[in-house]
Amino acid sequence: MSSGPKRQSDFLLWKLPRGFFYVAILMTCAALIPPALIIRARSTPRDSRRIHLIQNMDNQPKYKGQQQNILFRDNRAMRQPVPGTVARSQMVGDTHFHLGTVDGSYATTYPSQVTVDMDLLKRGQERFGIYCLPCHGAIGEGDGPVHNRAMMLLNLAPSVSNGTTWVQPKNLREEAIASQSVGQLFFTISNGKNNMAGYAAQIPVADRWAIVAYVQALQVAGDASNESVPGADSLPEHRIVMDEDVTEAEVDEDKEGNGS
Amino acid sequence: MGRYHFVFPRWSNLLLPAIIVFALTAPPYVVFMVAWGFSPKTTDVGYMPTQPVPFSHAVHAGELGIDCRYCHNTVEYTAMAAIPPTQTCMNCHLQVHPDSVKLKPLFESYETGMPVEWIKVHDLPDYAYFNHAAHVNRGVSCVECHGRIDTMEVVHQVEPLSMKWCLDCHREPQPHLRDPDLVTQLEWGWAMTDAERIAEGTKWAEINQLQPSQDCSTCHR
Repeated sequence: MSSGPKRQSDFLLWKLPRGFFYVAILMTCAALIPPALIIRARSTPRDSRRIHLIQNMDNQPKYKGQQQNILFRDNRAMRQPVPGTVARSQMVGDTHFHLGTVDGSYATTYPSQVTVDMDLLKRGQERFGIYCLPCHGAIGEGDGPVHNRAMMLLNLAPSVSNGTTWVQPKNLREEAIASQSVGQLFFTISNGKNNMAGYAAQIPVADRWAIVAYVQALQVAGDASNESVPGADSLPEHRIVMDEDVTEAEVDEDKEGNGS
Repeated sequence: MGRYHFVFPRWSNLLLPAIIVFALTAPPYVVFMVAWGFSPKTTDVGYMPTQPVPFSHAVHAGELGIDCRYCHNTVEYTAMAAIPPTQTCMNCHLQVHPDSVKLKPLFESYETGMPVEWIKVHDLPDYAYFNHAAHVNRGVSCVECHGRIDTMEVVHQVEPLSMKWCLDCHREPQPHLRDPDLVTQLEWGWAMTDAERIAEGTKWAEINQLQPSQDCSTCHR
């Protein structure tokens, strides 16, 4: 019977009191909770701001742009200029440059601060692309992506379009606008017209003049003949294929096919 | 009966190895969990607050292709890329979706002059002074810090915006530079290989003579 105790001592681990196993299992499970929470936090977006255990002066009692200040009725930390005052950069002494008017009527020339050259046109092209293209389209024909979207909405049920109304933006190359003076174009960009809002707040003055120059370039380029373009004869022939042309060509091909 | 003699049971020989194993695993576990769990990649990335108006950048910047600067027009001139005023929204939304329930806070703001209280997603600590104009005008695209905003229905933070992350780019900016005229083209460079992208960045670092500062006072002042 001496083998009895020996067998019992074979494997010491099973001699441990059961409590040790429970504690070990619990601790292992508990140790898996933090990584599970971290993986969840890393893999899913969340609505709540992070918990700020250590403040580190991350949020200081001072106001930065567009922050909230409940001392004021509108909760804005940023204040409007006091009525009747003009900020230094917003002085409108020179009406030609700032308003596009000379002696109460639209200016017919560019102001002296603006030099019309290739740099100005390129700047105008870029700014046109940012502020005008969404409605007026890339070459100003009133067919920008916002216009197309609005037209799509008009075809939908009122419950979907939420009362959308839309008037097509002006074709900037039509005669009524091409005949306008630069001052009037500048004034319209600044103050808006009909359904178009004014862009004085969004576009600095010099950039608005650049856009005027680019709009005039579009108007000239749209109706330009080959003779007006230097070296036009030596350019490779390029024909814009319209949908109608394609269908006509296809029809022709079909006819030929039938004939033969 | 004699005095009670406490005798350690045989299983107590197991306690020593158990304690050693615990002592070796617990400290690294705690260190790793703190470093992993309190990393900005865990705490800050993925912050996606619900805004007062469910504005979709995917529709406006992505589908319609409106340039970032149409709304965030201060980005090229000032430190802050401002949230646009209500008027900017109303340029279109006086006519488009004027009866929308989702846009109600916007129309109320337009009538009362009270601001729509937008929640700041990318929020740096108050002791870090980041300048948007300085970066955008030197060819650091919006996408380098904000990710593909033009594909996001709801904006969320994709980069940790930690100090290490800032310094990584200041030390080696080449993979993050481009033509300053293309900073708002978020999809630009998407199809490039790493080598092509770095070559392009190196080119523009030379053209614009960029040597990003790593002084403390560059950001902390």
